[in-house]
Amino acid sequence: MRGYGPIFYLLEAYRGLRSNSLVNALALGTICMAMLIVGFSLLVFLNLTTAVRAMGDRLEMSVFLKDGLSPSDRDLLLTRLKSESGVRKAALVTKDQALTQLIRDMKGQEKLFQSLGENPLPDSYELTIDPAYAGDGKMEGIAKRIAGFFGVEDVSYGKQGAEMLGKLLRLVTYGGMFLAVLLGVSVVFIISNSVRLALYSRGQEIELMQWIGATRWFVTAPFLVEGILITTLGASLAVGILAGLFHALPGDAMLFLSGPGGFQFLPTGVIVLMIGGCGLLGLAGGLVSVNKFLD
Amino acid sequence: MIHLYRVNKSYEGIPALREITFSVDKGEFVFLTGPSGAGKTTLLKILFCAERADEGQIIIQGMNTFRLGPSSIPYLRRNMGFVFQDYKLLPHKTVFENIALALKVVGTPYGEIERRALTALKKVGMLNKEHLTPPKLSGGEQQRVAVARSLVNEPQFLLADEPTGNLDPASGQEIFKLFKEINMKGTTVLIATHDWETVRTMQRRIVAMERGRIVSDSRDSQKKPSPAAAVRPGTAS
Repeated sequence: MRGYGPIFYLLEAYRGLRSNSLVNALALGTICMAMLIVGFSLLVFLNLTTAVRAMGDRLEMSVFLKDGLSPSDRDLLLTRLKSESGVRKAALVTKDQALTQLIRDMKGQEKLFQSLGENPLPDSYELTIDPAYAGDGKMEGIAKRIAGFFGVEDVSYGKQGAEMLGKLLRLVTYGGMFLAVLLGVSVVFIISNSVRLALYSRGQEIELMQWIGATRWFVTAPFLVEGILITTLGASLAVGILAGLFHALPGDAMLFLSGPGGFQFLPTGVIVLMIGGCGLLGLAGGLVSVNKFLD
Repeated sequence: MIHLYRVNKSYEGIPALREITFSVDKGEFVFLTGPSGAGKTTLLKILFCAERADEGQIIIQGMNTFRLGPSSIPYLRRNMGFVFQDYKLLPHKTVFENIALALKVVGTPYGEIERRALTALKKVGMLNKEHLTPPKLSGGEQQRVAVARSLVNEPQFLLADEPTGNLDPASGQEIFKLFKEINMKGTTVLIATHDWETVRTMQRRIVAMERGRIVSDSRDSQKKPSPAAAVRPGTAS
């Protein structure tokens, strides 16, 4: 059996796109707009995630020790703290180190410490907590457990900050997923409609091709390629516009938007996924319409 | 080449074909005649696998069409040419492009398309009009292009449904002459027509239908079919 290769189907698709240029231009514009929203959301999502991660890396808990603990008691406590789930790192801060840090933090008010006499600060272990434990009261659970360990005087952490961080991370993740699904369905809908219009406008030709021995693949393939071409082109345009806008942002605005993790454009992998994913949605939209039309 | 045995077909309970049994041998030229509603078009559609019969056996070139899956039908159609009453040419494509489409559909290498399309157009005397679009041609010329398209893939048999129905008598005669030439080169031809005068003068096998049945077959009876089975020019749509 003879047949044609991908270049033939690409050329046929190009011819089809040109013959329905108005409908396809509208579809291209709509997809570009939808992908601009997706791209913008991804930009916000990824930068926010980076920021949240950076903040999460600073998710800390102070475990204050009772006075007079022997070195072996401290070692035992350190072992227990490190084996606690959610604890990434534990480092000892002696009372002298704590005082030095405090004096450094309160620069210009050193006189306050001159009349202090004996150092009132306790020794402590500074724990770094896994960001996954930021919400749902998990930090509180860890704090309560550690407070019951032998040799622990008190446990302190930024309770509200940790809970807030957890909520923000969830909102960004689930909100982003919802938006992606919504826009993905919209892209399938747009493509299936534009392919359907193309099918109806070329219905006579399709019917004739079937009469003269065209296989289903021969009839279908150009429309599927059209769907893929429109969507990948739309997504590429959207990425281009987004990149243009991003690089046109004034330095001050960029500084304002920068979080703890900086403000970065979409990574190459994400761009490739965005364009490829959009192409797959185009293929799905094309398949929906072509199968409906031919059946 | 084509064998039909007790083929029945009905639409919403109304019989369109009843107990159709006949066969066409390789190289034969057969006219299928009868008044409107006799079942000629339905029979051609069934042979072309555009419709499925309700009952019966249809063997085309050794293949039982009842056993053919949808994916095999295009390959069966590639061995048949079909000429329609309304030509079914694509109006926005040139004559050459219309012919080339039939070659592309079967995956003909690009290098061969031009040569074969022009050869087909030469056979029907349309070589000098290959750059025109169908609306710029007369009815007879459009039907010639349609015949060229049906022949370009060198099918083993040709089906035609009222190929001269939209043509004036002179153009109709030209088209029938073309079919005769095609048949003389070995292609089996089966034509459904009302054009009784042409049928009579061409002196070929005639299968007459009436109300979904075959009422006479000149090969069996060696006689002319009853006048009721054949409609004279101008009496049917």
